[in-house]
Amino acid sequence: MDTFGLLADGLLAAIQVQNLLYALLGVTLGTAVGVLPGIGPALTVALLLPVTYRLDPTGSLIMFAGIYYGGMYGGSTTSILLNTPGESASIVTALEGNKMARKGRGGPALATAAIGSFIAGLIATFALAFVAPWVVKAALAFGPADYFALMVLAFVTVSAAFGDSALRGITALFIGLGLGIIGIDLQTGQARLSFGIPDLLDGIEVTTLAVALFAIGETLAIASSTSSLKEEVLAVKGSVWMTAQDWKRSWPAWLRGTFIGFPIGAMPAGGAEIGTFFSYAAERKLSKHPEEFGEGAIEGVAGPEAANNASAAGTLVPLLTLGLPTSATAAIMLAGFQQFGLQPGPLLFTNNAPLVWSLVASLLVANLMLLVLNLPLIGLWVKLLTIPKPWLYAGILTFATLGTLGANGAMSGRLGPIPFSFELLILLAFGILGFILRRFGYPIAPVVIGLILGPLSEQQLRRALAISQGDPLVLVSSPIAITLYIIAAIALLVPLYFRLRGKGALLQQMASDED
Amino acid sequence: MNKLFLAAAITGAMAIPAFAADYTIMAPAAPGGGWDQTARAMQNALQTEGISGNVQVTNVPGAGGTIGLAQFVNQSTGNPNALIVGGYVMVGAILTNGSPVSLANVTPIARLTGESDVIVVPANSELQTVDDLVAMLKADPGSVSWAGGSAGGVDHIAAGLFAKTVGVDPTTVNYIAYSGGGEALAAVLGGQVTVGISGLGEFDAQIQSGDLRALASTGAERLEGSEIPTLSESGVDLVVENWRMVAAAPDLTDEQKATINADIEKLVTSATWQQVLETNGWVDTYLAGEAFETQLASDIAATETILKDIGLVQ
Amino acid sequence: MSLGEPNLSRRPDGAAFVIALVLAAIAAVIIWQTSLMRVPPIQAKVGPTVFPYVIAVGLIVLSIGTAFSAFRGSFPAREKINYRPVLWVVGGLLAQMLLIGWAGFSIGSAVLFAFVAKGFGRGPLWMTLPIGFVLAFVIWFIFSRGLQLSLPAGPLERLIP
Repeated sequence: MDTFGLLADGLLAAIQVQNLLYALLGVTLGTAVGVLPGIGPALTVALLLPVTYRLDPTGSLIMFAGIYYGGMYGGSTTSILLNTPGESASIVTALEGNKMARKGRGGPALATAAIGSFIAGLIATFALAFVAPWVVKAALAFGPADYFALMVLAFVTVSAAFGDSALRGITALFIGLGLGIIGIDLQTGQARLSFGIPDLLDGIEVTTLAVALFAIGETLAIASSTSSLKEEVLAVKGSVWMTAQDWKRSWPAWLRGTFIGFPIGAMPAGGAEIGTFFSYAAERKLSKHPEEFGEGAIEGVAGPEAANNASAAGTLVPLLTLGLPTSATAAIMLAGFQQFGLQPGPLLFTNNAPLVWSLVASLLVANLMLLVLNLPLIGLWVKLLTIPKPWLYAGILTFATLGTLGANGAMSGRLGPIPFSFELLILLAFGILGFILRRFGYPIAPVVIGLILGPLSEQQLRRALAISQGDPLVLVSSPIAITLYIIAAIALLVPLYFRLRGKGALLQQMASDED
Repeated sequence: MNKLFLAAAITGAMAIPAFAADYTIMAPAAPGGGWDQTARAMQNALQTEGISGNVQVTNVPGAGGTIGLAQFVNQSTGNPNALIVGGYVMVGAILTNGSPVSLANVTPIARLTGESDVIVVPANSELQTVDDLVAMLKADPGSVSWAGGSAGGVDHIAAGLFAKTVGVDPTTVNYIAYSGGGEALAAVLGGQVTVGISGLGEFDAQIQSGDLRALASTGAERLEGSEIPTLSESGVDLVVENWRMVAAAPDLTDEQKATINADIEKLVTSATWQQVLETNGWVDTYLAGEAFETQLASDIAATETILKDIGLVQ
Repeated sequence: MSLGEPNLSRRPDGAAFVIALVLAAIAAVIIWQTSLMRVPPIQAKVGPTVFPYVIAVGLIVLSIGTAFSAFRGSFPAREKINYRPVLWVVGGLLAQMLLIGWAGFSIGSAVLFAFVAKGFGRGPLWMTLPIGFVLAFVIWFIFSRGLQLSLPAGPLERLIP
């Protein structure tokens, strides 16, 4: 049967009433667990996966797809409303999204996230279905030197997340880079900066750091400030729905986010959240309202959210074609697929075509169901903001610690006779760090970005140099790497040039010529 | 109202003794990995077959299983209901991490499953046989880049032993560590490295599709129906096999040990367990009692030697 | 809070000097620890010590920059810290950390919940503790029994088979 016939079959199966109900149930469960602060999509999917085992194969696949999308969207909801991202991919969303929510524009922020996720999911799922074999070939051509160049580009562009002071932004980045050294060095097995503490051998968990800096740090910052304690948050100011202006500013960002996120998600060396960094940087550079960035620019939510979802679909490319999971969520999905009799690998598309197409159909249906469920709920979600602060923050911290314990509940520390969880100690320590950073006007996101990019760039550089037996020319000997360096140089130098020439006037001129 | 409930709950806690699970199995890894899957498969089979009424799995991830192992030894000494899953990776991790506890601190029960490594090259590679690889390695060891799992793991040990066996200095092995066999697979497929070395499961699909060529497997014997020659068939006298095991707490009486041994034996011979092996593609290498203890001791000694030879352990 | 106007008085900022010192101290620790590492003979070209040294040097440069910035008083103005609520929140986290290992998730989290609520001005504890306990116990039941998440159990949790 041809591709379209198979897809049509899959869709026909998926839109039976019973299966639509499974999709709705999955999306609801996924959103309900994913929305808890500090519980990211990976943990959500892991927790809810067994729920699907009791259904028939098609039903369980559809419910699973629903849980997956629901968990991802639930995570962004709390990032936007409460500034408590449960994982690295929604950190960038929190940057602008939470600023919007504080101004009573939480409704439009959630709407642009939901619609952006839907559109990105739609395009990326079709891309997965039709071009996966070619995308994976292109992605495999990326060698360590090319990845290193990509990391250099990422370092150059994340400066967009630095806020108003370059010194404090770079300092925050270097704190993250420093934390990234901690643990066993992958290439030599030697422990670095672990001070003889076994719990540090695996390094600092990105999720723990993100939850600590954002959820705990934020709670401490609000608790410490008399004015924030008294501040009344307006759940809705103006319309809860997106305005015409919001639509006009969102849709190019959705598309750009999708096209940035999908290929980066498809790369086999991991780092699916990097697409959200690039998308945020791109929106900030291209925006006609650069002054709004850092104050709640809707493009800064629309782009990264689309990139996040597209990159999540992108991670399915290496997962399905190579059996290679590149993110924590993907690793859990792999376990799920195997339970459903889907053996990811190069032969999957030929040997197991009907199941692949019912997966694609499930993803499409679940994606739609997410939109159907969540758009009407936006009015309800923003009500989260009206929960009295004592209960809200007491709840946030309870769930943040639950998520941390759930991911790593080992009682490996010991204070006299009392066993305690070392991970909770790390959570507290970095929570206090997040508080201090906020107090002195340091941006938070670069710390987490540094922890992600540091180890990736180090490993790739060292792999490249080891394979070439120490010849540094290997770093600039591939066309991909050279292209990436040129883009990095342009991103770095062009704004500088224009700033020197005409204080940015030309740049604005160019931006307005685009219409 | 709430206070009443609390008071009632506390009185209740003192009156009724704590309900104990028949077995608590620790998977010293995050949910989803091989050890976790093994622990959960055991849980499932023990309960389905009625060998044990209630089985709980706890995950204590970190540092190649050594964090879980340390916690197990600290908290479960003398507890006949506590089990831990582990494997060959632990042997290397204990040595490279300088772990304060080792496998000598637990009571090994049985080896459950095993897997050989395979050495693969991309389909368009010039290397056709193990002899070609040996020749290239002897000519210039640095020019052969090996992609595999983390440093000091089974893959690294196998690469080091391979070099040593064919008479090449193991410290010159140009081993490129990836954070898992899957990432190493991508590097081999993309032609970034000369050879890949990792578990058969990581490469199997690509070998069958013809994207990769398997030069040899490190197992003692060929798998049933497999076309991949073993290293010894190819003239390299070397066997490296990854395995997973189950162990019990330290300081058990002989009776307690015997009970656990009997339960595990019932487990591995059960239909449910055989079905699990089949579904997951695991090879049954059940080995218990003194035979297992002897094999464990020899693996630990061999690992220590090669890690010293490679230079990872002093 | 962090969005305040720049410190207009432009006086040297003592607390910011401390940050500069801490950054320098972190750099020193990285250099010290890295110098103690034994580099295996393999991969001596760009080994495991190169990145730590590069990052340490970066931190030293940033420490000098921070010191200059502190001297010019260019950090944002800071609101006075209200210490009491902060101590309640930190105390709640510490108490939970030390309790859950033996008293179980519900009791530990109840204390966290009540302390945080207290920090944000909601009390008294005899009322918030039971609320926190019921909430935490329900959460424990759903996640631990319903979804098989391994969460620490204490004497109360063990009452539920």
